[in-house]
Amino acid sequence: MSPPVDAASAEVPTSDPTSAGLAVETAGLTKRFGERTAVDGVDLLVPRGSAFGFLGPNGAGKTTTIRMLLGLTHASAGEMRVLGHPVPAERGTTLQRVGAIVEDPRFHPYLSGRENLRVVAAVRGPEAAERIAPALARVGLSERADEKVKSYSQGMRQRLGVARCLLADPLLLILDEPTNGLDPGGIQEFREMIRAMVEQEGRTVFLSSHLLDEVEKICDAAAIVDRGKIVTQGPIAELAEGGARHELIVGADDVELALSALSTSELVREARRSDEGIRVVLSGEPSTAAQVNAMLVRAGVGVMRLEPVRHSLEQRFLEVTSRLDAPEQPQEVQA
Amino acid sequence: MNATIALQMFGADFLKLRKRRGTMIWVLVLALLPVIILFTVKAIQHSSNALKYEPAGGTPGFTDGLRLLCLFFGPLAAVLIGVEAGTGDASAGVFRDLVVTGRSRLALFGSRVPAALAVCWSVTVTGYALVLLGTFAFASNLPTPDTALVLNGLGFTLLTTGVVCVVAVGFASLTNSKPAAITALIAWQLVASPLIANISSLGKARDAVLSQALIHFSPVHVGDRGASVTMSQGTGLLVLVAWVALFLALGAWRTRTMDA
Repeated sequence: MSPPVDAASAEVPTSDPTSAGLAVETAGLTKRFGERTAVDGVDLLVPRGSAFGFLGPNGAGKTTTIRMLLGLTHASAGEMRVLGHPVPAERGTTLQRVGAIVEDPRFHPYLSGRENLRVVAAVRGPEAAERIAPALARVGLSERADEKVKSYSQGMRQRLGVARCLLADPLLLILDEPTNGLDPGGIQEFREMIRAMVEQEGRTVFLSSHLLDEVEKICDAAAIVDRGKIVTQGPIAELAEGGARHELIVGADDVELALSALSTSELVREARRSDEGIRVVLSGEPSTAAQVNAMLVRAGVGVMRLEPVRHSLEQRFLEVTSRLDAPEQPQEVQA
Repeated sequence: MNATIALQMFGADFLKLRKRRGTMIWVLVLALLPVIILFTVKAIQHSSNALKYEPAGGTPGFTDGLRLLCLFFGPLAAVLIGVEAGTGDASAGVFRDLVVTGRSRLALFGSRVPAALAVCWSVTVTGYALVLLGTFAFASNLPTPDTALVLNGLGFTLLTTGVVCVVAVGFASLTNSKPAAITALIAWQLVASPLIANISSLGKARDAVLSQALIHFSPVHVGDRGASVTMSQGTGLLVLVAWVALFLALGAWRTRTMDA
């Protein structure tokens, strides 16, 4: 995937200066379908110029939230601002600089890729038509742009969907499960393209996914949503660590002696043998690891390894979502 | 929305219809083939027995051709085009991608109508040209239509197919289902309308039947195959306006309010 289409330099003026640093802001956003509440009081804060992951299991309310942000369906309650504009009140102005793929990208199958982009460019305005060729080049579809879309693979359709987003020269891209159908090479290219859009072009990418690995590798920050509610949100590193136990892997020359010393220490909540050595759960902050080391040395244990356990977003995700409560549906979350 | 964007949107909708090969083949078959068959059969009959069968063309041939095109097959072609225009984006799943551009839904609906009319008229006017070709080529010793009748015939072709096409765009946008819209409109046009028009106990209520109102603008005598109801041209015009306005309003309302 090659050079950028346009630098996202021209800002859509925000009607609310307090929202200048946020690409998306929602307060109490709610959507009800009859008795069922699909989105329940969601408060989202998506910083501008970042890749933001919207992470949750299938059916958590991710797509419904996106559909409300884009005016595809009405909110039952709550407020939304996109690029500083209240929506749906200023939806028309706002969406001029928003590109979105909602669920899987759909096209007129009997038209070529280029013709499909022409259709959307006609609706967006004259400038969009000039972006068709660069957008196709950007996603690597120039050579097959004149073939009918019905002959495209799922991966090519995803790329064409991204090209369609780029017609808006978007300040904000909203991508719903964008790597569905991409092969590993395509996923890697897609990650690089998203990072380039954020880091080199200053665009904001709001990426909805149930793929933890994808969000962890692409995004700077994320919100975890479950059963229509935001469970937690923040930078990826903080999300992964937040609320997690501080653990160490200890390698010792005398495991029995080490276990005995650790089990009587106030610094340690739990110590057990593991494949890697001894797994130690600290009672306090990670900084107490040094004190644990000193204690073991004083007890006559030769410490060969002392390594903090790094928590993944996946672990955090499983802790905070209902997955732990619903083990009968584990296949819905793929790391 | 300025004129440039309106023109671009019209072009995009025209492209979508023009490239819909399956629909276009059926539309061409419906609008052209019956006229060709009509004049071919009549010409063969005349050549085989000139005493029994009059020449295929002339004013009688024009009348038959116009009836066939404007009251039967032309409206069917118009239904197919109108339904395709009304449901194409939604059935392909592309409507939501057009909505997320921020363009108003009414503008999206509005651009369908002129595009559908442009495709519909380009096909049915070709059909009318075939009627004229048969009329003059096979006239032999029969009188031929004068310029006024030719122009009135063109106007009638545009009116009948145009009105049905616009009603079909509105109805299809309302239902958002291509099979349902085609079935309902063709059933109405071919079965329900003639049936209702022949139920004399319905009295003046039959004025509201679209095909009956259209027939009253025919420049040629329709005979017993068409008009069952008498009404003034003013009433006929009101009925046509009401049908067009009602279905445009319903289609626009549905396009504006539905979840995309």
